[in-house]
Amino acid sequence: MSGQIVIQKAFKAFNRGSVNEVKAINGIDLTINDGDFITIIGSNGAGKSTFLNALAGSFFLDSGSIIMGGEDVTTWPEHKRAAKIGRVFQDPLLGTCAGATIEQNMALAKKRGKSRGLGLGVKGRDRAYFRENLAQLGLGLEDRLRTATGLLSGGQRQALTMLMATMVRPELLLLDEHTAALDPKTAQMILELTQEMVEQQNLTALMVTHNMNQAINLGNRLVMFHRGRVVLDIAGEEKQDLKVEDLLQRFAELRGDEELSDRMLLC
Amino acid sequence: MTMYAFYGALEQGFAYGLMVLGVYLTFRILDFPDLTVDGSLPLGASVSAVAITAGYSPVVAILMASGAGFLAGMVTGILNTKLRILHLLASILTMIALYSVNLRIMGKPNVTLLGQDTIVDWFTQFSGLPQYLSTPVLFCAICAVAAVVLVWFLHTEIGLALLATGDNPQMITSQGVNTHTVIIFGVGLSNAMVACSGALVAQNQGAADVNMGVGSIVAGLASVIIGETVFGDKTIFRAILAALLGSVLYRVAIALALGLKLGAFSITPSDLNLITALLVVIALTAPTMKQKFFSKGSAA
Amino acid sequence: MKKLGLIILAIVLFATPALCSEKTYTISVNQIVEHPALDALRQGFMDSLKEQGIKAEYNVHIAQGNAATNTQIASQILGEQPDLVLAISTSSAQVVAQKVKDRPILFTGVTDPVTAGLVKSLENPGANVSGMTDMSPMKKHVELIREILPSVKSIGVIYNSGEPNSIVLVNLLKKYSSEQDIGVVEGTIANSSGVYQAAKSLVGRADVIYVPTDNTVVSAIESAVKVCNQNHIPLIAGDVDSVKRGAVAALAVDYYLMGRQTGEMGGRVLRDGMKPADMPVESSKQLRLYINKKSSKSMGVKLPDSVISRADKIIE
Repeated sequence: MSGQIVIQKAFKAFNRGSVNEVKAINGIDLTINDGDFITIIGSNGAGKSTFLNALAGSFFLDSGSIIMGGEDVTTWPEHKRAAKIGRVFQDPLLGTCAGATIEQNMALAKKRGKSRGLGLGVKGRDRAYFRENLAQLGLGLEDRLRTATGLLSGGQRQALTMLMATMVRPELLLLDEHTAALDPKTAQMILELTQEMVEQQNLTALMVTHNMNQAINLGNRLVMFHRGRVVLDIAGEEKQDLKVEDLLQRFAELRGDEELSDRMLLC
Repeated sequence: MTMYAFYGALEQGFAYGLMVLGVYLTFRILDFPDLTVDGSLPLGASVSAVAITAGYSPVVAILMASGAGFLAGMVTGILNTKLRILHLLASILTMIALYSVNLRIMGKPNVTLLGQDTIVDWFTQFSGLPQYLSTPVLFCAICAVAAVVLVWFLHTEIGLALLATGDNPQMITSQGVNTHTVIIFGVGLSNAMVACSGALVAQNQGAADVNMGVGSIVAGLASVIIGETVFGDKTIFRAILAALLGSVLYRVAIALALGLKLGAFSITPSDLNLITALLVVIALTAPTMKQKFFSKGSAA
Repeated sequence: MKKLGLIILAIVLFATPALCSEKTYTISVNQIVEHPALDALRQGFMDSLKEQGIKAEYNVHIAQGNAATNTQIASQILGEQPDLVLAISTSSAQVVAQKVKDRPILFTGVTDPVTAGLVKSLENPGANVSGMTDMSPMKKHVELIREILPSVKSIGVIYNSGEPNSIVLVNLLKKYSSEQDIGVVEGTIANSSGVYQAAKSLVGRADVIYVPTDNTVVSAIESAVKVCNQNHIPLIAGDVDSVKRGAVAALAVDYYLMGRQTGEMGGRVLRDGMKPADMPVESSKQLRLYINKKSSKSMGVKLPDSVISRADKIIE
């Protein structure tokens, strides 16, 4: 089932050999333990999202390896890795099919990692199960199984995406700034949902965020990326004692006289 | 419009009905603009004509034609997914190549079916109806069967994955589906239907001709648009029914125009080309219009 | 007001039969596309019937080159219940033959009616379909080429490989050429824009370039004329119009006259009640020889006196 997730000597550069070459992942070694909830922070272009995409399989590494639960997935294509991974994207519309109904979306998610055949897509007996799950969200979606998700708000779709990402228990849950595009109230709702789900199901999760408070308050481990490398890795009590100022100072040290991003100051 | 002309329009509408279903499957469901149609329609016609002339039963000939169409669609799918050629371009390449393939299959540009036993002849004998009635009934029945199978298929697990692939490829990939396989299969299935339609059309008009596919995609899109506009596409079942009825309406419109003479003014078939072109423009811009209008309303 | 209308209606209804002393026949025409040769066929047919004193009302349908419309027209014609159907071109004839089984059909402008499935044989058509073939007298064309250029060793032919009629003609060309120990080289095209390229490809490989009655090539004949002028290769055509446009010579069917001959066949069907099954397929009785003296100069060939004296039309 689950196990350690080990990334070794990972390298990835885009536009190699050209003037625009970007060393997005520049030598990362990371071991994610079973049950870790890691928040990932870093300046823009540090490689956070790229790292998540590399784990998901959106592209292949130039060199290095990724081992998940004892299996070497380095050369597995994205759809094959999907059996092990649940994803929630920054774009709240990206995780669901707008033209399909809620129950159709959930039926699709229920089959993640399993082979699909000619049986009925949305089975009658699954509907009760879907309703139960949706009720937990407290958004009234359990009464709207036959509504097209395209008619829902971004927050509702993101909540649905979270449900779908965990319906089949993932070995790794990837959350890529998944509240960034939502208004504060909805963002808070999604964040609470995140914490609940991860705790209840004891999931292993990586969460990229630009929000210092989020990064400190959630999870048991914090990792800071800079220029494609891990420059800070704090867990346990040390993490709990962290303050926003500490992180900001660390940022400043790293970037010397580079300007701090407004976004971080305003959090 | 005379009764014969009306039944003629019905029979055309259903003969090309499978082609319209194929176009609907690629353009609307898979979001894959597929011009292979102009080549796979005559492909189906040539394979079935050669098979019938060689002595195979019309039904077997039609199945062979569908198989050939499936292969053609697979080629387009592979060009797009594995060789990363833009879908529009990939389909044009296949379409162009099929011209030569069709010439090879027939050995000449035109194979006549006059005097051969076609599925139309068989059904006319079987039903006892006069030919101008039996033909539309037969084609309608074939379309009905195809529509039912397609609607059922789109409700299965695989069918649902196909719908999702056209709607949101990133989402369905993260749910473990190989979109490449889906696209190759989907475009293959679409062109199998188109080729089947080509086989029916050839048996209806008495010959398979290498140039008979020119303009099919335009007629197909026009039919889809008319169907959507008139009948709506709220559910899968409705959408597929709309496509078939759109095909019939399109051909009825042509029949009406052919019979129209108002004093000095008359619509000639060449005016229909302009009207069809306008409809296609609407077909291609409607989704973007919808999106623009739509995404304003659903942001959090 | 209503009463007045009824009276007028009654007068018209009673008067009309009196005005019609002869029968007016209904003739439905299916023509694949508008084209000078095909239009000439239709005009010749209509003029001939008129001169025979046969009154006819025509339903003319042009399919604008569209296969689906072509099929639609056939269904339309069923509804018109004509006394005679005139089909101009192979595809128009095929679709009408498929749909209309109980009325006489005459085709014209069809090169090979047997391969097209329209008739069982030229002598015994067999069903309700007969007509005229415009098959070029290929043997005579080869003889003409030999006459104009006695030293000819190789004939280059440009044609549309997607046009069934052209394939028939080219095969005949090869047959009659080989009988005269002349070789044939081919330049095929898929559409009119390829004519120039095809002509150029034949330079150095052919002593003479021949263009059969292929609509696609003929529509762009000027390109071939240009190449032939530049390289001093004589261009012989299969239709007389091309000579006006630059070919050196052509011995061909006059489409208007062919239309008239079809009209004579039509007269036999309508007035004498003959059945197409009993009417063998006819070919044009009269051929016309056109020559273009200007082209013969620019293409570097001397037209023999025997040819000049026989010519029906000389273009300077």
